[in-house]
Amino acid sequence: MNKLITMRQVVFMYLFISLSPVLRQVPTALAKQAGRSGYLSPFWSLMVIVPLSAIILLLIRSYPGLNLYEIMVYMGGKIFAKTFIFLYIIWIIVFLSAKINAYSLTLQFTLMPKTRSDFFMLVILLLVYYALLRGSKTIFRFSELALGPIFLLIAIFLLCALSRLRTDYLLPVSTINLPSTIKASKDILAVGGNLILILFFSDKIGISLTKKQIRKFWLGSIVFVIFTFVITIFTFGITGANLTKNLPFPFYITVKSISFFNIFERFEVIVTIMCVLSDFITICIMFLILLRLIDWLFDIEERGFLFLPLGIIIYYLTYYISTTQFEYNFIYENLIVNVNLVFQYIIPMILGLLSLLKHKNVKKQF
Amino acid sequence: MKVRLWREEKMIYVFGSLLIISFMKHKDILLNKKRNLVLFLILSVCGIALGVVRMIYPYVPSIAYILEKYLK
Repeated sequence: MNKLITMRQVVFMYLFISLSPVLRQVPTALAKQAGRSGYLSPFWSLMVIVPLSAIILLLIRSYPGLNLYEIMVYMGGKIFAKTFIFLYIIWIIVFLSAKINAYSLTLQFTLMPKTRSDFFMLVILLLVYYALLRGSKTIFRFSELALGPIFLLIAIFLLCALSRLRTDYLLPVSTINLPSTIKASKDILAVGGNLILILFFSDKIGISLTKKQIRKFWLGSIVFVIFTFVITIFTFGITGANLTKNLPFPFYITVKSISFFNIFERFEVIVTIMCVLSDFITICIMFLILLRLIDWLFDIEERGFLFLPLGIIIYYLTYYISTTQFEYNFIYENLIVNVNLVFQYIIPMILGLLSLLKHKNVKKQF
Repeated sequence: MKVRLWREEKMIYVFGSLLIISFMKHKDILLNKKRNLVLFLILSVCGIALGVVRMIYPYVPSIAYILEKYLK
Protein backbone atom coordinates (compact mmCIF):
# COMPACT_ATOMS: atom_id res chain seq x y z
CA MET A 1 0.00 0.00 0.00
CA ASN A 2 1.21 3.47 -0.82
CA LYS A 3 1.27 5.05 2.63
CA LEU A 4 1.63 8.71 1.85
CA ILE A 5 0.81 10.71 4.94
CA THR A 6 0.88 10.12 8.69
CA MET A 7 -1.80 10.90 11.27
CA ARG A 8 0.61 13.40 12.83
CA GLN A 9 0.85 15.29 9.53
CA VAL A 10 -2.92 15.35 9.10
CA VAL A 11 -3.49 16.59 12.67
CA PHE A 12 -0.80 19.27 12.26
CA MET A 13 -2.41 20.32 8.99
CA TYR A 14 -5.76 20.65 10.80
CA LEU A 15 -4.23 22.85 13.50
CA PHE A 16 -2.30 24.88 10.94
CA ILE A 17 -5.33 25.68 8.81
CA SER A 18 -7.30 26.58 11.95
CA LEU A 19 -4.71 29.22 12.88
CA SER A 20 -5.87 32.08 10.67
CA PRO A 21 -9.63 31.89 11.41
CA VAL A 22 -8.90 31.57 15.15
CA LEU A 23 -6.65 34.64 15.09
CA ARG A 24 -8.83 36.63 12.70
CA GLN A 25 -12.53 35.81 12.82
CA VAL A 26 -13.26 33.88 16.03
CA PRO A 27 -12.53 36.64 18.63
CA THR A 28 -14.65 39.17 16.68
CA ALA A 29 -17.54 36.73 16.29
CA LEU A 30 -17.44 35.71 19.97
CA ALA A 31 -17.31 39.33 21.15
CA LYS A 32 -20.27 40.21 18.92
CA GLN A 33 -22.45 37.36 20.14
CA ALA A 34 -21.46 36.82 23.75
CA GLY A 35 -19.70 40.03 24.81
CA ARG A 36 -17.05 39.73 27.50
CA SER A 37 -18.13 36.17 28.37
CA GLY A 38 -17.29 34.98 24.84
CA TYR A 39 -14.07 33.32 25.98
CA LEU A 40 -16.16 30.59 27.63
CA SER A 41 -17.57 29.45 24.28
CA PRO A 42 -14.62 27.16 23.38
CA PHE A 43 -15.64 24.85 26.24
CA TRP A 44 -19.14 24.49 24.83
CA SER A 45 -17.73 23.74 21.41
CA LEU A 46 -15.85 20.82 22.95
CA MET A 47 -19.23 19.13 23.48
CA VAL A 48 -19.72 18.98 19.70
CA ILE A 49 -16.12 18.56 18.57
CA VAL A 50 -15.70 15.43 20.75
CA PRO A 51 -18.68 13.59 19.14
CA LEU A 52 -17.47 14.70 15.69
CA SER A 53 -14.01 13.28 16.43
CA ALA A 54 -15.67 10.05 17.61
CA ILE A 55 -17.71 9.84 14.37
CA ILE A 56 -14.59 10.38 12.24
CA LEU A 57 -12.73 7.67 14.16
CA LEU A 58 -15.74 5.36 13.84
CA LEU A 59 -15.80 5.87 10.06
CA ILE A 60 -12.04 5.38 9.69
CA ARG A 61 -12.14 2.23 11.86
CA SER A 62 -15.26 0.77 10.22
CA TYR A 63 -13.95 1.40 6.72
CA PRO A 64 -10.17 1.03 7.00
CA GLY A 65 -8.10 2.25 4.08
CA LEU A 66 -11.06 3.93 2.39
CA ASN A 67 -11.62 7.62 1.70
CA LEU A 68 -14.84 9.62 2.09
CA TYR A 69 -16.08 8.80 -1.42
CA GLU A 70 -15.47 5.07 -1.07
CA ILE A 71 -17.17 5.09 2.35
CA MET A 72 -20.21 6.83 0.82
CA VAL A 73 -20.29 4.33 -2.06
CA TYR A 74 -20.33 1.40 0.41
CA MET A 75 -23.06 3.07 2.43
CA GLY A 76 -25.52 4.26 -0.16
CA GLY A 77 -24.29 3.48 -3.63
CA LYS A 78 -22.69 5.53 -6.36
CA ILE A 79 -25.56 7.99 -6.95
CA PHE A 80 -25.78 8.76 -3.22
CA ALA A 81 -22.01 9.27 -3.05
CA LYS A 82 -21.78 11.38 -6.19
CA THR A 83 -24.62 13.67 -5.05
CA PHE A 84 -22.77 14.42 -1.82
CA ILE A 85 -19.47 14.79 -3.68
CA PHE A 86 -21.08 17.34 -6.01
CA LEU A 87 -22.36 19.31 -2.99
CA TYR A 88 -18.91 19.15 -1.42
CA ILE A 89 -17.40 20.53 -4.66
CA ILE A 90 -19.69 23.56 -4.49
CA TRP A 91 -18.86 24.06 -0.81
CA ILE A 92 -15.11 23.85 -1.43
CA ILE A 93 -15.30 26.33 -4.34
CA VAL A 94 -17.24 28.86 -2.21
CA PHE A 95 -14.92 28.20 0.77
CA LEU A 96 -11.82 28.71 -1.41
CA SER A 97 -13.12 31.96 -2.88
CA ALA A 98 -13.95 33.28 0.58
CA LYS A 99 -10.54 32.20 1.89
CA ILE A 100 -8.67 33.96 -0.91
CA ASN A 101 -10.77 37.04 -0.21
CA ALA A 102 -9.93 36.88 3.50
CA TYR A 103 -6.24 36.46 2.71
CA SER A 104 -6.10 39.51 0.40
CA LEU A 105 -8.14 41.61 2.83
CA THR A 106 -5.75 40.65 5.66
CA LEU A 107 -2.75 41.82 3.66
CA GLN A 108 -4.53 45.03 2.69
CA PHE A 109 -5.58 45.72 6.29
CA THR A 110 -2.17 45.03 7.81
CA LEU A 111 0.84 45.49 5.54
CA MET A 112 -0.05 46.79 2.08
CA PRO A 113 -3.17 49.00 2.10
CA LYS A 114 -2.42 50.54 -1.31
CA THR A 115 -1.96 47.29 -3.21
CA ARG A 116 -4.92 45.98 -5.15
CA SER A 117 -6.47 42.72 -4.02
CA ASP A 118 -6.18 41.05 -7.44
CA PHE A 119 -2.40 41.22 -7.15
CA PHE A 120 -2.49 39.25 -3.88
CA MET A 121 -4.89 36.73 -5.40
CA LEU A 122 -2.70 36.11 -8.42
CA VAL A 123 0.41 35.72 -6.27
CA ILE A 124 -1.27 33.19 -3.98
CA LEU A 125 -2.67 31.23 -6.93
CA LEU A 126 0.80 31.06 -8.47
CA LEU A 127 2.31 29.90 -5.17
CA VAL A 128 -0.43 27.31 -4.72
CA TYR A 129 0.18 26.02 -8.25
CA TYR A 130 3.88 25.69 -7.50
CA ALA A 131 3.17 23.91 -4.19
CA LEU A 132 0.74 21.51 -5.88
CA LEU A 133 3.36 20.69 -8.49
CA ARG A 134 5.59 19.53 -5.63
CA GLY A 135 2.89 17.17 -4.39
CA SER A 136 0.61 16.83 -1.39
CA LYS A 137 3.36 15.43 0.84
CA THR A 138 5.25 18.76 0.63
CA ILE A 139 2.20 20.68 1.82
CA PHE A 140 1.63 18.33 4.76
CA ARG A 141 5.32 18.41 5.67
CA PHE A 142 5.37 22.20 5.55
CA SER A 143 2.53 22.44 8.06
CA GLU A 144 4.22 19.79 10.22
CA LEU A 145 7.46 21.78 10.30
CA ALA A 146 6.00 25.27 10.62
CA LEU A 147 3.38 24.64 13.31
CA GLY A 148 5.86 24.12 16.17
CA PRO A 149 7.75 27.42 15.69
CA ILE A 150 4.46 29.29 15.21
CA PHE A 151 3.03 27.94 18.47
CA LEU A 152 6.30 28.82 20.19
CA LEU A 153 6.13 32.40 18.89
CA ILE A 154 2.52 32.75 20.00
CA ALA A 155 3.51 31.40 23.44
CA ILE A 156 6.26 34.08 23.66
CA PHE A 157 3.78 36.80 22.65
CA LEU A 158 1.31 35.67 25.25
CA LEU A 159 4.02 35.51 27.90
CA CYS A 160 4.99 39.10 27.09
CA ALA A 161 1.33 40.12 27.13
CA LEU A 162 0.60 38.56 30.53
CA SER A 163 1.23 41.82 32.40
CA ARG A 164 -1.21 43.69 30.14
CA LEU A 165 -4.11 41.34 30.79
CA ARG A 166 -6.97 43.24 32.46
CA THR A 167 -9.29 41.19 34.64
CA ASP A 168 -12.01 43.87 34.49
CA TYR A 169 -12.29 43.14 30.75
CA LEU A 170 -12.95 39.46 31.50
CA LEU A 171 -14.93 39.45 34.74
CA PRO A 172 -17.62 39.33 36.06
CA VAL A 173 -19.35 36.60 34.11
CA SER A 174 -22.67 35.26 35.37
CA THR A 175 -25.08 32.45 34.46
CA ILE A 176 -27.15 34.97 32.47
CA ASN A 177 -24.35 34.99 29.89
CA LEU A 178 -24.39 31.21 29.40
CA PRO A 179 -27.04 31.04 26.62
CA SER A 180 -25.16 33.62 24.55
CA THR A 181 -21.86 31.76 25.02
CA ILE A 182 -23.53 28.54 23.85
CA LYS A 183 -24.90 30.31 20.77
CA ALA A 184 -21.53 31.91 20.04
CA SER A 185 -19.76 28.53 20.09
CA LYS A 186 -21.20 28.05 16.59
CA ASP A 187 -18.38 30.23 15.24
CA ILE A 188 -15.74 28.00 16.83
CA LEU A 189 -17.49 24.89 15.53
CA ALA A 190 -17.36 26.28 11.98
CA VAL A 191 -13.57 26.32 12.27
CA GLY A 192 -13.10 23.20 14.40
CA GLY A 193 -15.21 21.21 11.99
CA ASN A 194 -12.27 21.22 9.56
CA LEU A 195 -11.45 17.97 11.33
CA ILE A 196 -13.57 16.20 8.72
CA LEU A 197 -10.97 17.07 6.07
CA ILE A 198 -9.12 14.06 7.48
CA LEU A 199 -11.77 11.83 5.87
CA PHE A 200 -10.73 13.07 2.41
CA PHE A 201 -7.23 11.72 3.05
CA SER A 202 -8.16 8.71 5.18
CA ASP A 203 -7.12 6.29 2.41
CA LYS A 204 -3.59 7.63 2.68
CA ILE A 205 -3.22 7.23 6.45
CA GLY A 206 -3.15 3.45 6.68
CA ILE A 207 -5.35 0.43 7.09
CA SER A 208 -5.37 0.04 10.85
CA LEU A 209 -5.21 2.86 13.34
CA THR A 210 -2.78 2.37 16.19
CA LYS A 211 -3.45 3.62 19.72
CA LYS A 212 -0.75 6.25 19.20
CA GLN A 213 -2.49 7.56 16.07
CA ILE A 214 -5.85 7.73 17.87
CA ARG A 215 -4.21 9.60 20.77
CA LYS A 216 -2.72 12.12 18.32
CA PHE A 217 -6.10 12.64 16.73
CA TRP A 218 -7.80 13.36 20.07
CA LEU A 219 -4.91 15.57 21.11
CA GLY A 220 -5.35 17.61 17.91
CA SER A 221 -8.98 18.40 18.67
CA ILE A 222 -8.23 19.25 22.31
CA VAL A 223 -5.27 21.48 21.35
CA PHE A 224 -7.59 23.33 18.95
CA VAL A 225 -10.09 24.10 21.74
CA ILE A 226 -7.35 25.16 24.19
CA PHE A 227 -5.71 27.34 21.52
CA THR A 228 -9.02 29.06 20.74
CA PHE A 229 -9.64 29.66 24.44
CA VAL A 230 -6.16 31.14 25.02
CA ILE A 231 -6.31 33.44 21.96
CA THR A 232 -9.80 34.66 22.89
CA ILE A 233 -8.95 35.28 26.54
CA PHE A 234 -5.84 37.29 25.60
CA THR A 235 -7.64 39.28 22.90
CA PHE A 236 -10.54 40.11 25.23
CA GLY A 237 -8.25 40.70 28.21
CA ILE A 238 -6.02 43.19 26.39
CA THR A 239 -8.22 44.79 23.74
CA GLY A 240 -11.59 44.39 25.48
CA ALA A 241 -14.71 42.74 24.08
CA ASN A 242 -16.28 46.07 23.09
CA LEU A 243 -13.41 47.00 20.81
CA THR A 244 -12.84 43.41 19.62
CA LYS A 245 -16.34 43.13 18.18
CA ASN A 246 -15.69 46.09 15.86
CA LEU A 247 -12.27 45.01 14.61
CA PRO A 248 -11.67 42.86 11.51
CA PHE A 249 -8.41 41.44 12.93
CA PRO A 250 -8.43 41.91 16.73
CA PHE A 251 -5.45 39.70 17.55
CA TYR A 252 -3.31 41.88 15.29
CA ILE A 253 -4.29 44.96 17.30
CA THR A 254 -3.70 43.03 20.54
CA VAL A 255 -0.16 42.07 19.52
CA LYS A 256 0.52 45.69 18.50
CA SER A 257 0.44 46.67 22.16
CA ILE A 258 2.89 43.96 23.23
CA SER A 259 6.57 44.63 23.80
CA PHE A 260 9.34 42.29 24.93
CA PHE A 261 10.70 43.90 28.12
CA ASN A 262 10.29 47.30 26.35
CA ILE A 263 13.16 46.32 24.02
CA PHE A 264 11.49 44.63 21.05
CA GLU A 265 8.18 45.83 19.67
CA ARG A 266 5.95 45.61 16.58
CA PHE A 267 5.40 41.87 16.53
CA GLU A 268 2.17 42.31 14.56
CA VAL A 269 3.97 41.68 11.27
CA ILE A 270 4.74 38.17 12.50
CA VAL A 271 1.02 37.63 13.19
CA THR A 272 0.23 38.67 9.61
CA ILE A 273 2.84 36.24 8.28
CA MET A 274 1.37 33.44 10.42
CA CYS A 275 -2.09 34.14 8.99
CA VAL A 276 -0.78 34.32 5.43
CA LEU A 277 1.04 30.99 5.84
CA SER A 278 -2.06 29.41 7.35
CA ASP A 279 -4.21 30.75 4.49
CA PHE A 280 -1.69 29.47 1.97
CA ILE A 281 -1.80 25.96 3.42
CA THR A 282 -5.60 26.09 3.63
CA ILE A 283 -5.86 27.07 -0.04
CA CYS A 284 -3.40 24.32 -1.03
CA ILE A 285 -5.29 21.68 0.97
CA MET A 286 -8.65 22.84 -0.35
CA PHE A 287 -7.33 22.73 -3.92
CA LEU A 288 -6.04 19.20 -3.31
CA ILE A 289 -9.45 18.18 -1.98
CA LEU A 290 -11.23 19.90 -4.87
CA LEU A 291 -9.11 18.04 -7.41
CA ARG A 292 -9.74 14.75 -5.58
CA LEU A 293 -13.49 15.44 -5.48
CA ILE A 294 -13.58 16.14 -9.23
CA ASP A 295 -11.56 12.97 -9.76
CA TRP A 296 -14.13 10.96 -7.75
CA LEU A 297 -17.10 12.59 -9.46
CA PHE A 298 -15.93 12.16 -13.04
CA ASP A 299 -13.56 9.18 -12.68
CA ILE A 300 -10.66 10.95 -14.33
CA GLU A 301 -7.08 9.72 -14.07
CA GLU A 302 -5.10 12.92 -14.69
CA ARG A 303 -5.84 16.06 -12.71
CA GLY A 304 -3.10 18.51 -13.71
CA PHE A 305 -5.10 20.16 -16.49
CA LEU A 306 -7.88 21.14 -14.06
CA PHE A 307 -5.88 23.62 -12.01
CA LEU A 308 -5.98 26.55 -14.43
CA PRO A 309 -9.73 26.52 -15.24
CA LEU A 310 -10.53 26.04 -11.54
CA GLY A 311 -8.11 28.83 -10.62
CA ILE A 312 -9.86 31.20 -13.05
CA ILE A 313 -13.30 30.30 -11.64
CA ILE A 314 -12.13 30.85 -8.07
CA TYR A 315 -10.29 34.08 -8.94
CA TYR A 316 -13.42 35.68 -10.42
CA LEU A 317 -15.75 34.16 -7.84
CA THR A 318 -13.93 36.06 -5.07
CA TYR A 319 -15.26 39.30 -6.59
CA TYR A 320 -18.79 37.91 -6.79
CA ILE A 321 -18.75 36.75 -3.18
CA SER A 322 -17.59 39.94 -1.49
CA THR A 323 -15.53 42.97 -2.37
CA THR A 324 -15.01 44.84 0.91
CA GLN A 325 -14.13 43.89 4.49
CA PHE A 326 -17.69 44.69 5.66
CA GLU A 327 -19.21 42.50 2.99
CA TYR A 328 -16.79 39.69 3.82
CA ASN A 329 -17.64 39.91 7.54
CA PHE A 330 -21.33 39.80 6.72
CA ILE A 331 -21.10 36.79 4.40
CA TYR A 332 -18.78 34.96 6.80
CA GLU A 333 -21.13 35.39 9.76
CA ASN A 334 -24.38 34.72 7.90
CA LEU A 335 -23.52 32.25 5.18
CA ILE A 336 -20.11 30.62 5.48
CA VAL A 337 -20.44 29.68 9.16
CA ASN A 338 -23.85 28.02 8.61
CA VAL A 339 -22.83 26.26 5.40
CA ASN A 340 -19.68 25.00 7.14
CA LEU A 341 -21.79 23.50 9.91
CA VAL A 342 -23.86 21.55 7.37
CA PHE A 343 -20.84 20.10 5.56
CA GLN A 344 -18.68 19.60 8.61
CA TYR A 345 -21.22 18.20 11.07
CA ILE A 346 -24.57 17.24 9.57
CA ILE A 347 -23.29 15.18 6.62
CA PRO A 348 -20.64 13.32 8.71
CA MET A 349 -23.33 12.70 11.35
CA ILE A 350 -25.60 11.13 8.71
CA LEU A 351 -22.67 8.97 7.58
CA GLY A 352 -21.89 7.99 11.17
CA LEU A 353 -25.51 6.97 11.75
CA LEU A 354 -25.56 4.94 8.53
CA SER A 355 -22.31 3.29 9.55
CA LEU A 356 -23.78 2.29 12.91
CA LEU A 357 -26.90 0.90 11.21
CA LYS A 358 -25.00 -1.10 8.63
CA HIS A 359 -22.26 -2.53 10.90
CA LYS A 360 -20.25 -3.29 7.84
CA ASN A 361 -16.52 -3.64 8.12
CA VAL A 362 -14.71 -3.44 4.86
CA LYS A 363 -11.04 -4.13 4.40
CA LYS A 364 -9.63 -2.69 1.24
CA GLN A 365 -7.38 -5.10 -0.64
CA PHE A 366 -3.99 -3.72 -1.39
CA MET B 1 -0.29 61.48 -15.52
CA LYS B 2 -0.35 58.28 -13.50
CA VAL B 3 0.14 55.23 -15.70
CA ARG B 4 -1.40 52.01 -14.41
CA LEU B 5 0.60 49.02 -15.52
CA TRP B 6 -1.64 46.58 -13.70
CA ARG B 7 -5.23 46.46 -14.90
CA GLU B 8 -7.47 43.83 -13.36
CA GLU B 9 -9.98 43.96 -16.26
CA LYS B 10 -7.25 42.89 -18.70
CA MET B 11 -6.64 39.67 -16.78
CA ILE B 12 -9.22 37.90 -18.92
CA TYR B 13 -6.79 38.06 -21.86
CA VAL B 14 -3.96 36.67 -19.73
CA PHE B 15 -6.20 33.83 -18.54
CA GLY B 16 -7.39 33.18 -22.09
CA SER B 17 -3.79 32.87 -23.30
CA LEU B 18 -2.89 30.65 -20.35
CA LEU B 19 -5.83 28.37 -21.15
CA ILE B 20 -4.58 27.97 -24.71
CA ILE B 21 -1.06 27.21 -23.43
CA SER B 22 -2.49 24.74 -20.91
CA PHE B 23 -4.52 23.08 -23.65
CA MET B 24 -1.40 22.70 -25.80
CA LYS B 25 0.58 21.35 -22.85
CA HIS B 26 -2.01 18.74 -21.89
CA LYS B 27 -3.07 18.05 -25.47
CA ASP B 28 -2.47 14.30 -25.25
CA ILE B 29 -4.42 13.83 -22.02
CA LEU B 30 -7.29 16.02 -23.23
CA LEU B 31 -7.64 14.51 -26.67
CA ASN B 32 -7.19 10.90 -25.56
CA LYS B 33 -10.25 10.95 -23.34
CA LYS B 34 -13.44 12.74 -24.32
CA ARG B 35 -14.37 13.17 -20.67
CA ASN B 36 -11.19 15.13 -19.92
CA LEU B 37 -11.76 17.45 -22.87
CA VAL B 38 -15.41 18.09 -21.98
CA LEU B 39 -14.51 18.80 -18.35
CA PHE B 40 -11.69 21.15 -19.35
CA LEU B 41 -13.93 23.00 -21.80
CA ILE B 42 -16.86 23.33 -19.37
CA LEU B 43 -14.65 24.66 -16.56
CA SER B 44 -12.79 27.01 -18.93
CA VAL B 45 -16.05 28.40 -20.35
CA CYS B 46 -17.40 28.92 -16.81
CA GLY B 47 -14.23 30.78 -15.76
CA ILE B 48 -14.12 32.92 -18.89
CA ALA B 49 -17.86 33.68 -18.61
CA LEU B 50 -17.37 34.92 -15.03
CA GLY B 51 -14.47 37.05 -16.26
CA VAL B 52 -16.45 38.50 -19.17
CA VAL B 53 -19.34 39.46 -16.88
CA ARG B 54 -16.85 41.09 -14.53
CA MET B 55 -15.24 42.96 -17.43
CA ILE B 56 -18.56 44.24 -18.83
CA TYR B 57 -20.13 45.07 -15.44
CA PRO B 58 -17.23 45.75 -13.03
CA TYR B 59 -19.63 47.03 -10.37
CA VAL B 60 -21.99 44.09 -10.41
CA PRO B 61 -23.28 43.67 -6.80
CA SER B 62 -21.65 40.86 -4.84
CA ILE B 63 -23.53 37.95 -3.23
CA ALA B 64 -22.77 39.49 0.18
CA TYR B 65 -24.34 42.79 -0.90
CA ILE B 66 -27.48 41.05 -2.21
CA LEU B 67 -27.79 38.90 0.92
CA GLU B 68 -27.31 41.93 3.15
CA LYS B 69 -30.07 43.73 1.29
CA TYR B 70 -32.55 40.89 1.76
CA LEU B 71 -31.61 39.70 5.25
CA LYS B 72 -31.55 43.11 6.92
